[in-house]
Amino acid sequence: MQKSKAVLATLLLAGGGLASLVSRSPAQSAHDQGVLVVRGAQILPITGPPIAQGILVVKGGKIAAIGAAGQVQIPDGATIQDATGKIIMPGIVDSHSHIGIDGNPTVADSQDANESSGPVQPALRALDAIDPADPNIRMANAGGITTANIMPGSGNVMGGQTAYVKLRGATIEQMLIPGTIGGMKMANGTNPKGYGTRGQAPMTRMEEAALARGIYEKAQQYKAKWDAYTKAAAAGDKTAKEPDRDLGLEAVVQVLDGKRVVHNHTHRADDVMTVLRLADEFHYRVVVHHGTESCEVADELAKRHIGVSYTMIDAPGGKPETIHLSMSCPARLEKAGVKVAFNTDDPITNSRMLLRSAALAVRGGMSEDAALKGLTIYPAEMLDLESRVGSLEVGKDADFIVLSGVPLSVYTHVLQTWIEGEKVFDRSNPLDLRYATGGFQVISRYPPSQVGAQ
Amino acid sequence: MRVLASSLLLTAALAVTSSLGAQNVALVAEHVYTMDSGPQGGPGMVLIRDGKIEDVRQGANLQPPQGFQVIRGAYITPGLIDADTTTGVSGAYNIPADQDQDESTDPNTADVNVRDSLNPADLLYQYVNTYGVTTLQVAPGPTNPIAGRAGIFKTAGPQSPFRTVDQLIVRLNSAVVFNLGETPKETYGKAHKAPVTRMKTAEMIRDALTQAKAYQAKWDQWKKDGSDLSKQPAIEPKTAALADVVSGKTPAIFNAYRADDIDTAIRLGTEFHLKYMLASVAEGYLIREKIKQAGVPCLVGAVMQPFESLETSNATYENAALLQQAGIPIAIMTGYEAYVPKSRVLLFEAAVAAANGLGMESALRAITISPAKMLGIDDRVGSLSKGKDADAVVFDGDPFEYTSHVQQVLVQGAVTYNRPRP
Repeated sequence: MQKSKAVLATLLLAGGGLASLVSRSPAQSAHDQGVLVVRGAQILPITGPPIAQGILVVKGGKIAAIGAAGQVQIPDGATIQDATGKIIMPGIVDSHSHIGIDGNPTVADSQDANESSGPVQPALRALDAIDPADPNIRMANAGGITTANIMPGSGNVMGGQTAYVKLRGATIEQMLIPGTIGGMKMANGTNPKGYGTRGQAPMTRMEEAALARGIYEKAQQYKAKWDAYTKAAAAGDKTAKEPDRDLGLEAVVQVLDGKRVVHNHTHRADDVMTVLRLADEFHYRVVVHHGTESCEVADELAKRHIGVSYTMIDAPGGKPETIHLSMSCPARLEKAGVKVAFNTDDPITNSRMLLRSAALAVRGGMSEDAALKGLTIYPAEMLDLESRVGSLEVGKDADFIVLSGVPLSVYTHVLQTWIEGEKVFDRSNPLDLRYATGGFQVISRYPPSQVGAQ
Repeated sequence: MRVLASSLLLTAALAVTSSLGAQNVALVAEHVYTMDSGPQGGPGMVLIRDGKIEDVRQGANLQPPQGFQVIRGAYITPGLIDADTTTGVSGAYNIPADQDQDESTDPNTADVNVRDSLNPADLLYQYVNTYGVTTLQVAPGPTNPIAGRAGIFKTAGPQSPFRTVDQLIVRLNSAVVFNLGETPKETYGKAHKAPVTRMKTAEMIRDALTQAKAYQAKWDQWKKDGSDLSKQPAIEPKTAALADVVSGKTPAIFNAYRADDIDTAIRLGTEFHLKYMLASVAEGYLIREKIKQAGVPCLVGAVMQPFESLETSNATYENAALLQQAGIPIAIMTGYEAYVPKSRVLLFEAAVAAANGLGMESALRAITISPAKMLGIDDRVGSLSKGKDADAVVFDGDPFEYTSHVQQVLVQGAVTYNRPRP
């Protein structure tokens, strides 16, 4: 299987600029090889204590066994990979990304995240605009990300339906996680006010809230009409008239029914409170995204059991609502009992750097335990995916990464990334290395460097 | 509680107040990186008197002299130097009220001077100080082919909590900045004004430098002819600023990302015999032989930037390492940021370079003594050496580790940042 990848690398060397082909290369597959055993590494299962000299057994894309050497039986005929001296942790779950929909490079043609023709767009589906060949997806693999919530942008009050995907596959259908319908993207504060500069609504935060309230009220009515119709039809009422269908309102009803979580972009503390006010009013499930000032209202979040998907930015500002950004915000949220996940908001931060975001939160005072959970099980919970991903447990998807050292060190590199038993990134592969460092489009001209695979 | 802004200001104010009585400071650490020509990273002590470094002593268990305030840490480095940034002129709020880096009304604004835009009270200007930057070269922004004059400043001063720009000057007119590539042509092209293409950008610069040579010659001739006021040539401020560049008095900095734009910069530099540097250089590694041959130092741009444009789409974390490997003098810079984060953190950018082939010590060199030498300010800053300004950073761990902290920052002996107790 590695051979086909090598062939593609050669193609790239010959043709250059064919990077998009790479995503279609079949990855090394544990399905084909039966059982895979990775042994020797320290394993961080996240939901259990670290295992020194651990053994991970993968079968059919799932974790078949996990434990310390001597406690786990190595099946006959298994493919054995030695990872002595390395560290293994679950594949990273990015609860807020725009890879594939805000493509690389950033030119108008690759920008499909913001449908700026109207501020309320519940019928839109991110999955209809995601390009599986976007090199940003390979770069995310190089950063250890295996699962992502790919979302429309924050230019709209209601931006559309998000997609829960695994970062592999040649089509969006192969990427989508079976059984999931994604979340609903919402935003408030500065960004949707962009319409105001064109003399259109919303021009103010109160209009943003009014637009949000309006769509939920319509959805309530829509749901009531359909419920009444369904009930009447079921009772044999031949006069019952089927209401007109509205694709947008159908998606909003899924929010009201608790089937679709709202992912709400918000920065300022008062905007966070507006998010909570709407969620309280319409009884829907919500995750606060960015939450730059969410630590100022941490108790309000804690008492509602609402988590924060936090974007770690290197410096405050860039817009007035992020002027109070602080590296200690995740630590303060942790202290208040709020679950914090780290997201890339790619392209705002690069998907190769999500481990770094969690590490900077530790710099800001967060515990290492919460930081690692914020890369794995907490974002999985925020996406209702905790039964499949986010920790290394028997029966879960075999999504894991092999690290050269401790997860939160600048000197550590992601060596391998596996999704459901398939290797999607290998730093020892020359092309994959250039997704990790940059320069994948010019691999034939990339100078020989002393920088090795380790 | 608005944590960041208030704590920053409070810390700065308290630190300055508390440092007034302590002119003599002893910095003690297990790992002292002086960045001079001696061995690096061993235990030692740096003695500071009246804002200058009085002495540097190597060895463990050294006894600080009487009358010195003692600050202990794990690592000590010189104050960091950002070789090229718009921090201070491109404000944190990113609204027209605080954006003073780009005079995008004319592709040639050679006569503008960052000194007149610099706001030392800007949040980001103070923020970078908390991450160890004590000296920076502030440059005009990316939109104009001929952008104007840069200056070198301290990020803080020992004089008072409210600082005027003039108290912070290390050197004015440190460079004239030129921009090649996408941004100028996009800025003016949108309005159907020149430059719309790269060839026009190059032509405009070539033309302006040609005029500057003629202007310089005219003035030289006038002086030679007796400086008769009635015959004095007309003053042209833009051309005059560029006359300093063609005469070699002021260095030129060319911002260029794509390899062919870097090549254009070298072509211009060679043609006009300029004293110049290359900046940003995202694809520098693809043309490193040419850069080496031209003997031009590189200010290596931030690598954690999002891929905002085609010209940065081949950026690599290894750029600094590959350029240094080729024998090119390098310094790391943060440059201009359009959105979020509004400023890059020099320490963080150097950390990525350190972990991607450059190594810890070389990365540290690229943000201390190397930029000091390139900018010609190594008589004052860049290393912990006797007689230099007492600009230093105290860390509780490896400076580049994500989870380390900056404990103290000193500028000319004054503690400008003191990490609040967690």
